Amino acid sequence: MKLKKKLLALSLLVLCFIWLSSCATVEKGVVDTLAAQGKISEKDKATILKTTEALRSTFADITEEEEYYIGRSVAALVLSKYRVYDQAELTAYVNRVGQAVVSFSSRPETYAGYHFLILDSEEINAMAAPGGFIFITRGLLKTCQNEEMLAAVLAHEVGHVAARHGLQSIKKARLMDAFKLMASEAASRLGSEDFQKLVSVFDGVLGDIVAVLVERGYDRKFEYEADSLSVKFLAQTGYSTAGLAEFLEQLKKETPAAGAGAKGWFRTHPLPADRLERLNRVSTASAAATASMPVRTARFQKMLQLAN
Amino acid sequence: MRKKSLVLFLVLVAAILVGLLMAETLVVKVQTTAVRKSPKFYAAVVKTLKAGDRVEKISVQNDWLQVKTSDGLTGWLHSSAVQSGKVSLTASDQSLKTGASTTEVALAAKGFNKQVEDAYRAQRKDLDYTWVDKMLRIKISEAELEQFLKQGRLAEFGGGR
Repeated sequence: MKLKKKLLALSLLVLCFIWLSSCATVEKGVVDTLAAQGKISEKDKATILKTTEALRSTFADITEEEEYYIGRSVAALVLSKYRVYDQAELTAYVNRVGQAVVSFSSRPETYAGYHFLILDSEEINAMAAPGGFIFITRGLLKTCQNEEMLAAVLAHEVGHVAARHGLQSIKKARLMDAFKLMASEAASRLGSEDFQKLVSVFDGVLGDIVAVLVERGYDRKFEYEADSLSVKFLAQTGYSTAGLAEFLEQLKKETPAAGAGAKGWFRTHPLPADRLERLNRVSTASAAATASMPVRTARFQKMLQLAN
Repeated sequence: MRKKSLVLFLVLVAAILVGLLMAETLVVKVQTTAVRKSPKFYAAVVKTLKAGDRVEKISVQNDWLQVKTSDGLTGWLHSSAVQSGKVSLTASDQSLKTGASTTEVALAAKGFNKQVEDAYRAQRKDLDYTWVDKMLRIKISEAELEQFLKQGRLAEFGGGR
């Protein structure tokens, strides 16, 4: 009899544990449904939502959809500084190279997918807004000599998105403010004071990210990580991993003299020589990828004529 | 003794049942995705899914998951399109019935969403989203991607995965 009681208690404990762990991850939608059906009171609903929102604390807790909305506005801000190079055929080609690399990346699916656009600037630059809005300048395109180099640059940008580097540039205090406001019932009412506060926090979030993308550049460790992700994605797609090293060699040649006012990638990225040094330790190109390069170089060169 | 084994058996059954319920459900977290015939992005589409849709996991192969949809179709999904299902023991799955994603329902009121973007844009009339929307419409079809990989001797047509 004693044993039976013990077993019963144990089974109850197990069930309670499972119940609790499922509660901790109850979705807001479910809570809304329960409230709508009158199974829980509005007050309970508020408490539950508050608890789940309060659990959000880092960039990793930003949802895919929120990342998309941040990315859209970051993209609009980038586009306020550059003109688009509106060449449909070349844009489609860049998107095909990009999509090939995306398909073999660690994060091929984002809320609205990856999309690539060419900026009409002679400056050598490429940027990625959260969620997968990727920009590459005409100047950078012309610096590439083959498809592997272009794929390497795009894979580097995809790496920033995949590792959510943009979201990690949001100031921690600002993110905490955002999560706190999102937990407030009032913030859901358009025009309420909390909603207005949320909009201004959104503005701040965009400012944090754009400052890094356009002005300051990421922390070096993020750049090196994007480089190593680029090599990984290239290899998985079947590109020669030498593409990135070759591109960096080319960049080294074009690096402006010190004090000449660095722009674009020269301003926001570590020195090509430093990146190369780290790369050479990890990458060796596969023989198959090297052998098939001429086919790709030929189509690249044909397309590149459209960049002039 | 017989009672003891009966209780043990019941506990076991309950644990397995709950375990099954919790482990196998996945929720789509991206706007739209496709369940495909084989584990690659240029494979034929079996069914298109949207945010909040649920599928059951059958097996795993690298980053791909073999899944079963709510209407019994099976195919492959990339793992980055889904998150593990949050099973609630109190409510049956409403999102499957209403078609509205649970994240959509929740975020209609909170988070960085369309309403926040609209309010931000009202303050920043200088910003133009035309090209943002245009770039979102650029789509490379399965056939186009396969043709591009084939022609460039990439992926399975060359030295890739």
